Amino acid sequence: MTLPTQARNATSLSSLKTIDAYLAALRKQLWELTPEDANDIVEEIRMHILDKTEDKTGDKTGDETASDTPPETFSATIAALGTPAELANKYCTEEMLARGRAARSPAYMARSVGRWALLTLVGVAVFSVSVVGYCLGGFLFMLGMLKLLHPFLTGVYGAWSEQNSYFSSSFRWQSGGPNTPDELLGWWLLPIGLIVGGGLLLLTFRFDNWSIRKFWRPRKWQEF
Amino acid sequence: MSEARQPVPESAEKWEVQLRKGSLELAILAALWDGRLYGLEILRYLENKSELVVVEGTAYPLLNRLRALGLVASEWVESDQGHPRKYYSLTAAGRQRALDMSRIWARFSGSMSNLLAPLKKETEDEFEQDMQDRSLKKDGRP
Repeated sequence: MTLPTQARNATSLSSLKTIDAYLAALRKQLWELTPEDANDIVEEIRMHILDKTEDKTGDKTGDETASDTPPETFSATIAALGTPAELANKYCTEEMLARGRAARSPAYMARSVGRWALLTLVGVAVFSVSVVGYCLGGFLFMLGMLKLLHPFLTGVYGAWSEQNSYFSSSFRWQSGGPNTPDELLGWWLLPIGLIVGGGLLLLTFRFDNWSIRKFWRPRKWQEF
Repeated sequence: MSEARQPVPESAEKWEVQLRKGSLELAILAALWDGRLYGLEILRYLENKSELVVVEGTAYPLLNRLRALGLVASEWVESDQGHPRKYYSLTAAGRQRALDMSRIWARFSGSMSNLLAPLKKETEDEFEQDMQDRSLKKDGRP
């Protein structure tokens, strides 16, 4: 069966448009990865679709057969790849898993957990704990560092309020620092801040690592 | 879904899917043992060599993960006819991992065979018939 040239061109053009639409959607969904990685993946998938559709049409003797892809072949290839959202999700979660295990850097881990939080409830829980852990740990560590740099300006102040019998404490910059009577920790702030803060950061990082290994499950891919 | 109501036949199939999925990583590393291949070549290689039909949507992200783990390296190569292709090859770490995994595999399948010996009589005829059918199909004969 031979199609008139115009019809054939229309077929190949419309299928190419669909490939581009597919890849554009995929590229959009890969925002989580670095731009270089994402572009690389999109190019690879483009070549795959081209290879696949050429292959199924038969031999690659002429340009006409190569470009004249029946729509069902294209859709079969797409079906095997999954929708752009499915495919991108697999890329992102696989990548997250690899990085989470391989890179072992807190920044990457935090990003991974952030992405995970978008996917599942457990992810949300782990993400919340991490945020609190990193913030508190970071704050304490910073206090310790400040104490080291500006010992007489940094301090934790607190006092019993006799009337209401509650303990009020605050962190302030105050001239006089450790010498003021309501300063609580004095030089202890330095080791406590650094050790407790650093420990908390490390613990949170460990917790993220552990949760990813323990709870991370591939998402059930949904059709869109 | 109506299939969900027949748990017995489906559960074996599901198990097979998991089994294939679990061995895919090793299968890909093994496919690259003799040299670099691009994505579609890997898929075809697996299909021809092992009848391990791999869904593209699973294989490419997995390849990307193996690359991120440093087990495979990738490079774009211009080809004479057609378009450039992204070739994958094993890194030193990847070769080591493939060896480790294949050792574990050999040990595992050996002990599994021992365990399955009592079932062998029942399954072996079916298996041989199945293999014959497959090789006939491959040769293109009816």
